[in-house]
Amino acid sequence: MWMILAGLLLGIFIGFHLPVQIPQSMARYLAVSVLAGLDTAFGGLRSILEGDFDSAIFVSGFVANTVLAALLTYAGDLLGLELYLAAVFAFGVRIFTNLAMIRRLLVKRLVKNR
Amino acid sequence: MVCLKRSSQAKRPFWNGGMGVSKRGTQLILTVVFMIFGFMLALQLKARPAVTANISYQRAAELTALLKVVEEERNSLREEVKQLRDRLAESAAGLSREQALREQLSKARILAGLADVRGPGVIVQMSDSKKPSSAGQDPNVYLIHDDDIRWVVNELFSAGAEALSINGQRFVATTEIRCAGPVFMINGVRIAPPIEIRAIGDPQTLDSALHLRGGVIDNLALWGIEVKVKREEEVLVPAYNGTLQFKYARPVKAEETQ
Repeated sequence: MWMILAGLLLGIFIGFHLPVQIPQSMARYLAVSVLAGLDTAFGGLRSILEGDFDSAIFVSGFVANTVLAALLTYAGDLLGLELYLAAVFAFGVRIFTNLAMIRRLLVKRLVKNR
Repeated sequence: MVCLKRSSQAKRPFWNGGMGVSKRGTQLILTVVFMIFGFMLALQLKARPAVTANISYQRAAELTALLKVVEEERNSLREEVKQLRDRLAESAAGLSREQALREQLSKARILAGLADVRGPGVIVQMSDSKKPSSAGQDPNVYLIHDDDIRWVVNELFSAGAEALSINGQRFVATTEIRCAGPVFMINGVRIAPPIEIRAIGDPQTLDSALHLRGGVIDNLALWGIEVKVKREEEVLVPAYNGTLQFKYARPVKAEETQ
């Protein structure tokens, strides 16, 4: 677990210090992708707590979600629709559901372990 | 993560309920995935400030428009005062028609930019960005463009500038500000950055028009383009030194207009 957290921090560190700046036009795609990634991360945490974590599903979900979210945004731009709002909504709702589940599981476990 | 007492029955940490995560390979994959996620997050956080900085722009534009209206009103009132005062002086001194014409001519020469003029005003220095351009970013955005100069000039005029020159080129009715490769063409003369714009007008108004929040200087600062404004008691704006030849335009005589 600590190794994973260290990986996250390392990624943030590299991102801030590497002289790469995404162009303004791409910022929205990346924002939606980040949201998708966040959703997958919480989904993974939830499945760990539930005990049915599968790394293959997690990794494929991470890749597919981020790419699909960006593609959806792009498709929306092509159509002249704010389609990325659909992704924002879907992922936002899922993040909240997952957080609620994680909280329940943690509280249950805390009570049981006492 | 909360730190907890571990009971004897739970050998795993409490968050690790199931299988999988403790395996080495899985941990490695997860670490890599989270590293990528952190990288994306950091990139996005870096890109964000530029987006939020534009929000106040609309408000600034509103204020600029308001200011412009008030300025125009003030200018016309000032003009009226001047005319009335002139007429008063004229009738008092019994000035000849010739002298009145000469006075009008000298005013017209200032407006047309055919006379050197001096007065209070500002000197605006613009220079290219010193920010290192990062990979994947068009280096062009860090340079001064003809748009940027036009913007500053327009802002100065709307703040009541009465005479203006760019690197010694007087701004007249036919003045162009145009990108020509690495330089600018102004009055048909090549001008290279740094740009020095001299404007005669109320120094405080001119200065604050440029420094308006979300205004021209704020926006150019996003790209690191440096704009320095100096208020001066005395600014000299040189006369237009191009030729005065009109190939196509002819004045319309009073009879023709009817």
